[in-house]
Amino acid sequence: MSSAALDQLDAQQQLLTDSLARMVQGQWTGFPSLQADIEALSPGIQLAPRPPVLESDAGPETPTGWWAEYDPNTYMPGQVNSWSCSACALAWVLRATQLNPNASEQSEIAEIGYPQNINPTYGLMDGSGAQLRRVIGQYGVATEQAWLGYDDVYAIFGDTTGLMSGGAWYHWVGVRGHDGGNLWIANSAEGYKGVYSTLTREQFNALGPFSCVWLLH
Amino acid sequence: MTDTDHDARITQLQTQQGLMTQALAAALEGKWQGAGSVEAFLYALDPSLQGQLEPDPPVLTS
Repeated sequence: MSSAALDQLDAQQQLLTDSLARMVQGQWTGFPSLQADIEALSPGIQLAPRPPVLESDAGPETPTGWWAEYDPNTYMPGQVNSWSCSACALAWVLRATQLNPNASEQSEIAEIGYPQNINPTYGLMDGSGAQLRRVIGQYGVATEQAWLGYDDVYAIFGDTTGLMSGGAWYHWVGVRGHDGGNLWIANSAEGYKGVYSTLTREQFNALGPFSCVWLLH
Repeated sequence: MTDTDHDARITQLQTQQGLMTQALAAALEGKWQGAGSVEAFLYALDPSLQGQLEPDPPVLTS
């Protein structure tokens, strides 16, 4: 394949990527839009667009339940014990969502289950976060869990909150949302392995793999 | 362009093609945001979009 042909494929790929960005942002017609990108990809094409009804057309969704109460700025105190980061992250989620405004490091050690599920020797026994999900479930909120890469995690925490832990980090944190292109976290051990209140893609990749637990709403 | 550069560009295009296909499948399934969504595959295609998008997805009928 010639260099010119590769250049053309690169240009087409960029237009296709931009097309996806236009679709996600509801820009189906006009400029810039999916329609404009398709016309650039295929000059002379005759289109008869029928764009979908968008969430913005349907009016703002009224938050309900814990999502209506969620405050990403909720304070995260430093952890008292060296092994209870998961309890701190869980307590932060419960306070930030008002599911339990009085949740604390100690109360969540008890709810997770001391010493069978969390203890000074190993910290949280099940690194996937199964016991954290069980506790949140006791407050009537459904969760999901997966081991994910940065792009999926970033997409998830644009629309909910939860917790996550890196295998090489050996540390659980709450996730407040985004800070630009980074993850904005509630960290009970600021400075541990060089991480404070945000997690960059590079830090994420170095400290993973990450198990993520997120709340559904 | 060296053979190595040439091969690297083709490999990158193949990767992008795979991500694009997965993104279109996610769109067909109405997964616009969250894990395995169009938004997530878009970030994989172009990480510089993180923090730049303002999602306004279609209303789903089911």
